[in-house]
Amino acid sequence: MTQYIGSGRVAPALDRRRQATLSAFAERHFRWLIALPAVGLILALSVYPLLFSLWVNFVNYDFDIPGHDFVGLQNFADVVSDPNARSALLVTALLSVVNVAIEFVLGLALALALIKTFRGRTLVMSILIVPLFISPVIVGQSWALFLERPFGPADYLLGEILGHPVTVSWLTESPWYYLSIIIADIWQWTPFMFVVLLAGLAAIPPHLYEVAELDALSARMTFLYITVPQLAPVILLAITFRLLDAVRLFDVIFMMTGGGPGAATYTVSYYLYQVGFQQFHLGVATAGSWIFLILLSIVIWVLVRRLLRAEKS
Amino acid sequence: MAEAATRLLRGRPSAAVPRILCIGLFVIFVLVPLYWMVITSIKPTSDYLAIPPVWFPAEPTIVHYTAALFSYRGLDGLINSLVIASASTVLSTVLGTLMAYSMARFNTGGEHLAFWVLSQRFLPPVATALPLFLMFRSWHLYDTHVGLIIVYTVMTLPLSVWMMYAYFRQLPRSLEDAALVDGLSRWQALWMVAVPLAVPGIVAAAVFVFVAVWTEFFFALVLTSRHAFTLPTVFRAFLGFQGAQYGEACALATTSLVPSIVLGILVQRHLVRGLTLGALRG
Repeated sequence: MTQYIGSGRVAPALDRRRQATLSAFAERHFRWLIALPAVGLILALSVYPLLFSLWVNFVNYDFDIPGHDFVGLQNFADVVSDPNARSALLVTALLSVVNVAIEFVLGLALALALIKTFRGRTLVMSILIVPLFISPVIVGQSWALFLERPFGPADYLLGEILGHPVTVSWLTESPWYYLSIIIADIWQWTPFMFVVLLAGLAAIPPHLYEVAELDALSARMTFLYITVPQLAPVILLAITFRLLDAVRLFDVIFMMTGGGPGAATYTVSYYLYQVGFQQFHLGVATAGSWIFLILLSIVIWVLVRRLLRAEKS
Repeated sequence: MAEAATRLLRGRPSAAVPRILCIGLFVIFVLVPLYWMVITSIKPTSDYLAIPPVWFPAEPTIVHYTAALFSYRGLDGLINSLVIASASTVLSTVLGTLMAYSMARFNTGGEHLAFWVLSQRFLPPVATALPLFLMFRSWHLYDTHVGLIIVYTVMTLPLSVWMMYAYFRQLPRSLEDAALVDGLSRWQALWMVAVPLAVPGIVAAAVFVFVAVWTEFFFALVLTSRHAFTLPTVFRAFLGFQGAQYGEACALATTSLVPSIVLGILVQRHLVRGLTLGALRG
């Protein structure tokens, strides 16, 4: 206010009017003003980087080779011709499908087992959800510690159960390293399926079961004709969410096998990390990430469209 | 009739045995590796390779905790994680709540904006990490707290926006309308009426954001090195266990998982909404 000394009577009025227009502006555009910061941040740090990487796709971007010359489709050709890339895609697809399938079956079994209240149910629920709050890095590390010889007790325990000594190197011996990765993944994410499916089961209207009782349907028929169809949208939701996270598999690989032995356990994320951040062929890695993105958006398109249709009906 | 429904829904008494077996086995499956980890963190080095395995050390020690925190810079990682996770939690929750309010009350952007935000959630981190790495190096944001904080804010915005979007839609708007009739501005209606009503939802969203950032590894791995590294990246030091730092690794893991598990149990009620971004209510 001090800068208006000398025009003492006019200035506060001007100031007030400016304030009034400002607050009128703030009031009129309220809905946009409060949405803008979040939208702006996503545009700046997610959309803009993606557009930037569109350019990186077609130029030389390599810490070994100076300059950013236009190279056409060379980066894409490099990825497609790399056998590691192809095996990484296959491993990712297979591991995600197997992981999500096992997690779904186990999660559904647990949800069906826990829908009924019993003493200690709250405690059991609290234990079952613990893996969801642990960093995947720690999950990978603690399973590596538990399984790997000579430190881990897994071989000893198996030996005791089976009655003969077991000497499996869980992280370096084929096919056990795949099993180790699957175990770590289902340990962490079965609770996700369980929690979501349990919520779905609890939301099925009880009167449907009364009708089933009237019609004298057997337990299996009730499950097939009432539980499954009623649960279907939730199943679709759970599988969509889980599958789109499963394909990112990285942390557990990083901690348990380091992609090895050789490149046997490379997933797409791990392969792109190796090419981009270890070998610094950033153009090639970017091209690879775009191929992955396009393949993924097909999956997203199919799944999310179904999800929306299920939601509407 | 209700009894019959319960019986059919929840299985017959004869199904009790497989049910208990299923629950029991899975509880053991969840607890055993965790137990092994916690126990290893207090085991003296001489117990590491004992056969049969030592399930409880005769002489527990805390030496691995001090080594992990001070020799392996675990404490620095812990402090960085706390600072970065807290800051991005505040930012993401505030910005997400505001945007969600706009979407829920004014239908801002319609379905398209909502699903554009949701699609960000399904973007694989590696797709944005590569260009972000290049951009951060030229903007001098590589290996800085600020850089990681804004990345995590953007990463968790779909979570906070969608959780709060679902929350606001189920809050009645009549109180805000009454406030507007009484002469309050939109901003006052938001701060003095809607936000206080939404506090439980905001707290739950904040906790899920915090846990997501606390446990994140990939962005921290590629966007930091010696300065702004977070706790999960410290575990690289134990890769391969050539030096057999089993105890140190477990001590650090135990330290890291206590806060997120405690927070997780506290918001257990909101878990379904948190896991499905508000699409499903518990």
